[in-house]
Amino acid sequence: MTVQTKPPAPASATDDWAFAKFGIGQPVPRTEDPVLVQGQGRYTDDLQLPGQAHAVVVRSTHAHGVIRGIDTAAARAMPGVLGIYTAADLAAYGTLKCGVPLKNRDGSEMKKPLRPALAGDKVRFVGDPVAIVVAETLLQAKDAAEAVGVTIDPLPAVTLASAAAKPGAPQLFEDVPGNVALDYHYGDSEKVAAAFAQAAHVTKLSMRNTRLIVAAMEPRSAVGVYDKAREHWTLHSASQGVFGLKGQLVDILKAPPEKVRILTGHVGGSFGMKATVYPEYVGILHASRMLGRPVKWTDDRSGSFVSDHHGRDHEVTGELALDKDGHFLAVRLTSFANMGAFLATVGPLAGTLNAVKNVASVYRTPLLEVSAKCMFTNTTHVSAYRGAGRPEGNYYMERLIDAAATEMGLDRLALRRKNHIRPSQIPYSASSGMTYDSGDFPAIFKEAIDKADIKGFAARKRDSRKRGKLRGLGIGCYLEVTAPPNKEMGGIRFEPNGDVTIITGTLDYGQGHAAPFAQVLSAQLGIPFHRIRLLQGDSDELIAGGGTGGSRSITASGAAIVEASAKVIEQGKAIASHVLEASASDIEFDKGRFVIAGTDRAIGIMELAEKIRGGLQLPAGEPQSLDVKHASESVPSAFPNGCHVAEVEIDPDTGVVEVVTYSSVNDFGNLINPLLVEGQVHGGVLQGIGQALMENVCYDSDGQILSGSFMDYAMPRAHHAPPIGFVSHPVPAKTNPLGTKGCGEAGCAGALTSVMNAIVDALSVYGIRHIDMPASPARVWTAIQAAKQGAA
Amino acid sequence: MKVELTVNGESRLTEVEPRKSLLDCLRDNFNLNGAHAGCEHGVCGACTVLVDGQPVRSCLMFAVQADGYAITTIEGLTPAPGELSVIQDAFCETHGMQCGYCTPAMVLTAHALLQRNAAPTREEIVESISGNICRCTGYGQIVEAIALAADRLSRANAPQGGAVR
Ligand code: FES
Ligand code: FES
Repeated sequence: MTVQTKPPAPASATDDWAFAKFGIGQPVPRTEDPVLVQGQGRYTDDLQLPGQAHAVVVRSTHAHGVIRGIDTAAARAMPGVLGIYTAADLAAYGTLKCGVPLKNRDGSEMKKPLRPALAGDKVRFVGDPVAIVVAETLLQAKDAAEAVGVTIDPLPAVTLASAAAKPGAPQLFEDVPGNVALDYHYGDSEKVAAAFAQAAHVTKLSMRNTRLIVAAMEPRSAVGVYDKAREHWTLHSASQGVFGLKGQLVDILKAPPEKVRILTGHVGGSFGMKATVYPEYVGILHASRMLGRPVKWTDDRSGSFVSDHHGRDHEVTGELALDKDGHFLAVRLTSFANMGAFLATVGPLAGTLNAVKNVASVYRTPLLEVSAKCMFTNTTHVSAYRGAGRPEGNYYMERLIDAAATEMGLDRLALRRKNHIRPSQIPYSASSGMTYDSGDFPAIFKEAIDKADIKGFAARKRDSRKRGKLRGLGIGCYLEVTAPPNKEMGGIRFEPNGDVTIITGTLDYGQGHAAPFAQVLSAQLGIPFHRIRLLQGDSDELIAGGGTGGSRSITASGAAIVEASAKVIEQGKAIASHVLEASASDIEFDKGRFVIAGTDRAIGIMELAEKIRGGLQLPAGEPQSLDVKHASESVPSAFPNGCHVAEVEIDPDTGVVEVVTYSSVNDFGNLINPLLVEGQVHGGVLQGIGQALMENVCYDSDGQILSGSFMDYAMPRAHHAPPIGFVSHPVPAKTNPLGTKGCGEAGCAGALTSVMNAIVDALSVYGIRHIDMPASPARVWTAIQAAKQGAA
Repeated sequence: MKVELTVNGESRLTEVEPRKSLLDCLRDNFNLNGAHAGCEHGVCGACTVLVDGQPVRSCLMFAVQADGYAITTIEGLTPAPGELSVIQDAFCETHGMQCGYCTPAMVLTAHALLQRNAAPTREEIVESISGNICRCTGYGQIVEAIALAADRLSRANAPQGGAVR
């Protein structure tokens, strides 16, 4: 494992040892780790509130059907049962909503059927919640939940998006004809069609982007508390930012914002999944109001397989038009995107807008067209999973390029080089409408090819063959457009004990924001790293917050912290002027000290804070503290990019694929903390390898989930992880003060592309030109047998 | 029914339903929250504790079955308040955790490995944690942490001036 970084100069350069050790660009270990490593993390299920009751959700066992009755009498009579709630009880609350503002290709509004927290008339997927049982103990609640009788008249079900579009398919909603939630279109069809008509070569692939389980290791959990005296709601829950979750809940509860508080402790992974309100939260908050007690609900894994939103699930036809020399003329995606039975908060985004933004990647592609039918099916709803359309877009492009190279007899490296956007063309206006502000794609490509020792591949391949294995090499270039701008809070508070708290609305669910954010603040204000704390999980503290998602946190919170720091300095100058008895305009801020210009008279920022704490008298009209509550203007999307190279070995007798080498060169702009960035790449790459090789949600024809446990849904384990080479090649972003680009989702994009290209490369000896994810042993073996028979 | 469990060297009497898992008993009855429920069907390893020094899935064991065994949870692994074990320290140093949910189980599993094999190969480390799912880290930095801890422990245990492997 190699870490090579070129750290930028700290924003506030200093020779001080502490600054060097904890400065921007240093691999600083995380401050939360000593807590987590002792098992002292406080995840939601660890909470035990006085008087807490326990909730269990009764879920539909049918994929589609009409609810004829819910018999709760027997359950109500069971020991310890406190209350049972169904849709009728929750009728006064609002519904869960989709926030994506897209329109149909004809300009009409997309269909957004209302989703109440509990199903009342119809169930639409296995796992659809129909009742909530609350009891004194968890086991009592479980027993009673089993005694709730739900009578459902089953209806035929449909689980595949393309099947839901067929005439005669089961219809999920009366007012959504043909199950089409959104008929999305982007691009100039005529121009694109003309480009395809003129093309010397057209490559066409149909690709299935597998449905995945998010599978954060901590199942979702929440505790609802209603305080009758204050008419106030508190939800303890995992999230990806409390500000956004609160906004959703305020809408559903129809409560004034000051009457709703969200508290998030440690979060055991999320990857897009825990960002939004789920039906269970509404149910337990209502139960708490009825019972006057805190009510806790924690999913079990079987529940989470159907109740957590799923990821991906697109059926895509991709086409690439090239001229005779291999220049790209246009790319066209035509797809079905599976939404599940309801629109999740950002459900339609991955298959539509994010496919548009990400498919063209690092290549000059003058024309682009994306048509996506977002379909309702009798499955769990689908929404953001690590990348949310970014890795998918890159995957389609990289597969098309390899296929085109094979068909045209061109070298796949040369074809990529020919079409790379050059540094001289930046800023580059992509056909997606995005403007790339920075990047050096050819240099990164070259470095990646060198690092992977592609020259030595032929010898390695021969060696594999001697051992009876097929070897393949795959390239995966990627460029991701990070989440669109959002206001973010940069709060800085000087605490009575001398600590300094950063308050921000992003929320790490494992990435580790405390150390890098402290590194940023320390560099700005010279505050010792070990005095800095991070507060991210209390909605009462926030005045803004875009939350974590779309690889945006370091860029958004980083900018907010930088801007807030400038305000601290302004306030500090005014206050220091009284301490130092000088005019504020004569005071400069340098390396953590307020100095009277041209003199050696100065006061350090921590010393100044101490004086303020000690009761420093300041005239009215002057700032009374150093504290700042700032909401930053939004920072534009950034364009993290890179090139990953994977080599696989395949055992042709069993179809088992092993990723044997893996290297990557990445441009995440300036790195604040390379240790954590490398961790993000490792995690993303293995999630990508998981999708490429094994993960797959399967339904039967009745809509029952067949892969409903970790026994049936394969998860990548330690032996699936190759050693991962990580190199940083920063080209700082020009659109934010720290020059960062974001790294959270890139690993997935690099891995899907490079690993699948490597597998097809290895299988090309049989004339195989595409295989869908997951390249499981059964699928690979079957493809080999079919190819052999076809050839025979 | 009543059970008497020896947890982290301390004998503790408690009342459990016979169907209560050791995992739920540790968490609910003793407030030892370091053992986590990840699947409750024995596949993810997040609930791992040591029973007589061996890693065991506490979701698959009833509390009543644990009577008479010595149970070690993550809370019992720290040498002294405010101190980390060599393995815990290595996990912090190499960024061997992200969300930390799988971490106590990983640390306990590593502890058991290094007790029986002081100088494991990379393959042996990978093998030892192959029953523990981590969704966040991609495992690389966990493997690195265990290797680092093994190295440090072997140096610490090497005779004065003696050769280190
Ligand atoms: S919770 Fe015990 S193995 Fe997963
Ligand atoms: S660190 Fe999150 S599951 Fe391992």
